[in-house]
Amino acid sequence: MAEYDEEQNRLTVKLVYYGPAQSGKTTNLMRLHDLLAPALKGEIMTLETQNDRTLFFDLLPLGFRAPSGLLVKLKLFTVPGQVAHDGTRKAVLSRTDGVVFVADSQKTQTINNGESFQNLAENAQRVGLDFDRLPLVVQFNKRDLPDILSEEEIRARWGTAPWPLRFSAALTGVGVLETFQELLRQVYRGLERQCGLGLQHGLGEAAFVDAASGGTETS
Amino acid sequence: MKHFDRELSLRELLSGISRDKLHKALTMLAGEEFRLSETSGALLFGNAQAPTGTRLPLQLDVEPLGYLESSESDENRLHATVALLELLMHATARYRMASDLHTEAVSADYEELQRRHADLQASEARYKALANELEERVQTQVKTIEDAQRQLYQAEKLASIGQLAAGVAHEINNPIGFIRSNLNTARDYVEKFKLLAEPARNGDAAGLSAAWRAADLDFVLEDFSGLLDESLSGADRVARIVADLKGFSNVDSAEEAMVDLNDNLRAVTNIVAGKLGEQVEMALDLQPLPRLLCLPGHLNQVFLNLLLNANQAISGAGKITVRSDVADHAIRIQVGDDGCGIPAEVLPRIFEPFFTTRDVGSGTGLGLTVCRDIVSAHGGRIEVDSEVGKGTVFSIHLPLP
Repeated sequence: MAEYDEEQNRLTVKLVYYGPAQSGKTTNLMRLHDLLAPALKGEIMTLETQNDRTLFFDLLPLGFRAPSGLLVKLKLFTVPGQVAHDGTRKAVLSRTDGVVFVADSQKTQTINNGESFQNLAENAQRVGLDFDRLPLVVQFNKRDLPDILSEEEIRARWGTAPWPLRFSAALTGVGVLETFQELLRQVYRGLERQCGLGLQHGLGEAAFVDAASGGTETS
Repeated sequence: MKHFDRELSLRELLSGISRDKLHKALTMLAGEEFRLSETSGALLFGNAQAPTGTRLPLQLDVEPLGYLESSESDENRLHATVALLELLMHATARYRMASDLHTEAVSADYEELQRRHADLQASEARYKALANELEERVQTQVKTIEDAQRQLYQAEKLASIGQLAAGVAHEINNPIGFIRSNLNTARDYVEKFKLLAEPARNGDAAGLSAAWRAADLDFVLEDFSGLLDESLSGADRVARIVADLKGFSNVDSAEEAMVDLNDNLRAVTNIVAGKLGEQVEMALDLQPLPRLLCLPGHLNQVFLNLLLNANQAISGAGKITVRSDVADHAIRIQVGDDGCGIPAEVLPRIFEPFFTTRDVGSGTGLGLTVCRDIVSAHGGRIEVDSEVGKGTVFSIHLPLP
């Protein structure tokens, strides 16, 4: 549930990049930092171990003002993918408004993807999120690598699931923005219900996605 | 608990470092006339009154958290001051978020552990309850089995005593029969003596003598006394059988007594004698025994069971031998027969409850089980030695104190 502070005239939206270890969650955030041009863009905050593995989280803050003057803050987090950091993952996931599940397309990672997704579903339930209604986009990353599952194979496996599917190569930036924008569209519906973004603040879905990504919206 | 990703105020972001040093540094950079405040207007450092001059926002993420106001004319210096403060804020935010997240994760893990602990305790309690319930059920079942066993033991006792009764009836019938027959004869003899009454009253010596001869009273007199002797011995036999029977009247009593087991063996063999097959003879070889503190009624039943078994093992002619002696500081009692014997494959099972080779209904299958239990209760043991076609010997060893 986004944090709507009427006194400060501020809406804070939390988005989390979840997924197995080294599937490219931090890389997604780095690319977004480069690609996005919203009105307000904070510095990316990373907390890595010496091996470039995320220990606590990464944070990319973004923001813009709705026509009404409402400050919309987007906080993009990553979780540590390593199995051992489950307590941290749960804490980062709590109160999130939407999730990008970053899966690793490599054939060898199928089991890790499945376990991590299961972990996401369980943790969502533990921190009190309704997983069935949680905005979620599944991104199959590392499309630029050899030995990956084909799009057909992935669609055969995930096509029947209710979540939108995106393909990406985060290192080169392919699909990163599309994934983010898809999540924004999903999240918008909840925000509209919660605080009337469109009706009260004059911010439609397309305008929301456009403002958050800084004029790169294509649809 | 404070969430790690909550909005941090400028005050929080500048806490945790030396206030004095920061103040001094700010004074050096922004001059004496400066003011550092939050967006709400709350003063953090410097003048209470806003100095006239430049006002610059201090930003973390995407929005200003406070302002630096100063009358310092060198704007570059002020921009550098703001940049340094923002670096400080960013570093503190990074540290604060990481430590708060760590606290949050640890406490979530702790709560998870406590929850699991509570689950474990609940499941342990369930298992305990289940164990108690099972224990209760086992005890109920054991009691049921014990009751049933007691009833079966009782049935076994009644069965052997039933057989005993048949033998005793035969034993008593025999003397009663000839005593009755003797008494009939005695009544005839009395009639004959009546014939002497008339000549004796009249003093008719010749008539008396004639009558005496006519009634053959010489023979009658002789026979009469033999008849009475025989009847007396018959009555004695009945009395003895009744006395022996008393040994069985207390099969259920658990009263201990000091007894000479040879007396018990004699009593039991006497009772069984009438039950034996026509061509079965019984030999006793009883050596002197020390008196033993025991349950005589129970041991009588053991001897009775063994003797009845021995009798059943013999078809036609045969011999039952009962021996007693003292060996290895124990009383040894042996009941042997030269009957059919027990096959080797059956031998290990004969003391098992309900094991029987006889037809259904003709035995409870508990006879030898009862024997073993009674002997065990006396601290003794019972052994069997058998060969098919040659016979069987049961040996009871009762330790002496």
